[in-house]
Parts: sequence; C-alpha cells; structure tokens
Amino acid sequence: MEHRPPEIDLNEVVVKYRPVVSFKVKKSLGAQTPDWEDVVNEVITQVIEKVKKGEFRGESSIGTFIYTITSRRIVDHIRQKTKVLRSAPEPAALPDPCEDAERREKSRILAEAIQQLKPKFKEVLNLYYYQELSRDEVAQRLGISPRRVSERLNYAQKLLRKMIRT
Amino acid sequence: MSMKRCMFEDQIDSYLLNKLEGQEKESFEEHYFNCPSCFRQMEERDALISTIRHRGAWLFKDEAASEQRNWVPAWKRALSSFTPRQWATVGVAAAALLLVVFGVLPQFRGPAPQFVLSETEVVRGESLTLMSPIIDVKSVPTFFEWKSLGQEVEYKISLYNGELLWSAVTRDSRIAVPEEIRQRMLPSQRFAWQVRAFSARGTLIAVSSKVQFQINPAE
Repeated sequence: MEHRPPEIDLNEVVVKYRPVVSFKVKKSLGAQTPDWEDVVNEVITQVIEKVKKGEFRGESSIGTFIYTITSRRIVDHIRQKTKVLRSAPEPAALPDPCEDAERREKSRILAEAIQQLKPKFKEVLNLYYYQELSRDEVAQRLGISPRRVSERLNYAQKLLRKMIRT
Repeated sequence: MSMKRCMFEDQIDSYLLNKLEGQEKESFEEHYFNCPSCFRQMEERDALISTIRHRGAWLFKDEAASEQRNWVPAWKRALSSFTPRQWATVGVAAAALLLVVFGVLPQFRGPAPQFVLSETEVVRGESLTLMSPIIDVKSVPTFFEWKSLGQEVEYKISLYNGELLWSAVTRDSRIAVPEEIRQRMLPSQRFAWQVRAFSARGTLIAVSSKVQFQINPAE
C-alpha cells in the first residue's frame, strides 16, 4: 500500500514545479484568463493528493507525472468553460490583471536594452519575433544563411542578458 | 550551466511562437517539465518575446521607416529588370488603355450637337452679290439680277414690301418679275429683296444682304 518512491519532498516539488505548471497553464489558457491561478492551485493540490495516495509510482519522472496532471486539468477546465459559455455569457476579460508591477518593470528595462542594440541585432529580433517570419524567410530578407540568423538571435540574447545584469 | 546543449533548445522559439503542434508540442512540454535548463531558457525567451510583442511598434519604428525607404529603390529595380515578356504585358496594358480612352469612352458621350441653320446662316463662306436693282429706281423693275456663283446652284429670291410679296426659284443669275407682281409694286413703297443660293444637294451656301429700294417715278 505505501509504495511511495524514495525521497519525494513535496515542498521541494511544489517550489520547483509551481512556475513550470504556471507557465504551461498560462500558455494554454492565456495570461488574460483571470482564473489561470485557480487552475494552477488545483493542479498543485491534485499533485500533492496523488503523491500522498501513492499514485506516483516512479514509472515516469515526477516532471512527466506533473505534466500529465496539468494537461488533463487544462482540458477539463476548457471543457467546463465551454459548458458555462453555452449557458451564460462570459464576463468581459480584464485587461491583463496578471501583469504585475514587477513584471512590467522588468519588461521596460528589457525594452530599453533592446533599443540600445546595434541595428543588425534589432533587425533580426524585429523580423523573427515581432513580424514572426520563419528563420528561412529572415535569412532571405537579410541575405544571410539561416544558421547565421540563429547565431545572431542567440548573440542578441547574450548581449541583452549582460545589459540587464549590469 | 553545463555547456552541453539540449536538443530541445532549438524548439523553444517555435513553441513560444505557437509553431509547434500535436505530438511535437506535447513532447516539448513534457520535456520542459523535466529539464530545468530548458525551462529557464524558455522563461527568459518568453520575457523577450512578450516584451517585443507588446512594445514592438515602439521598438522597431526606425526599422519600419527604413524599410519604407528601401521600398522605392526596390520598385525602381523591378522596373529596370523587366523581362521582354513583362514589357509585352505593359505594352498590351497600355494599348488596352488607349483603346478604352479613344475607342470606348467617346461612345458614352452625349449625342453630337445638331447644327440647325437659320434662314440667314450659311455653311460655306461664299458671298452673294446683288446687282440690280440696288438703288432707287424710276420705274418698276422688270427683272432682278445678281452675280452668278457658278453651275449647279439654285437661287431663291424673296421680295418684301414689309412682308413677303414674292418668292421664286431659278438656276439663272437673273429672274424676270411676273406681271402680276409688278402691278402690286407701287411707287413710294419701300421694297427689299434678298437671294439665297443652294447647292445641288439643297444646302444653303450663300445669302445676299437685304437690299432696299424705292420706286420714284420720274417727275
């Protein structure tokens, strides 16, 4: 009955996986969905319950175990939402209530760093991330190889990382 | 922080830009639940992408402007690099345009104005000169005479004494006044006469001036 695999520290699991679960939930539901945090909490609760019940048997990694629970909960949530939508109109979504002050400040700093990049890096960020061209399309537009596009993107990120730290 | 690259790293951008689907997407998601390094990188990339998405219009306004500047030379380049086939297309298009402008559009114009000649208007600028009588005469004239305008011309003479007294048509350049008209031409009345010339097709080609005369019997 007590077939718990060794050394599952639930506190550690929660601390480590809450951001990962949050990321997946926000990505699937959209950060504008006001109840994404509720969904995350439900997932964490389920994980704790299931581990306590011994449902995690170590056949897969704990990451995969949590991923499976998260995916199912998201699917359930979307199904519920669809039912609710059929019976009652959805209240208007709030304009990004989750973008807290700290995140906004980080974004502002990052934007200023991007602004200071050399044109050749800004250009590649613009085409690839803003205009969402494919890597091959960006390569064609700039007259460089697709490999160079990736290198430039990575180098731009490296520069930004440095600029933000200092 | 190992230098060994994870093979899933290459999918971070595709995932965040929603370019992964189905099994590929699920495999990648399951991977980042298990790979803290990939997850960290993805969080960082996500911050970059969402910043760019939210502030791109401001961040890349210079790029957008320079792209517009490059557009003009690109257009010129396209013109100078037309293939013969493309030039042929341009030619055909131009010909079609000319056809429309000069062939089709005039058909939609209103009807051409109709020129209606009044009695004294002439088509050709020929002048018709009256010869006799052009001044007061002593006796009732026996004929009227004018300068000939050549062959194939028909003249219509009109004699007025306030109103139309007599009218006649001839191909000669003179006409005798009928006796009954002469009897109605009384002295001290004012008379006027005029000749109109018509072509064989009946077109008015000349109109004389109206000449006035009086009959003043010799005293």
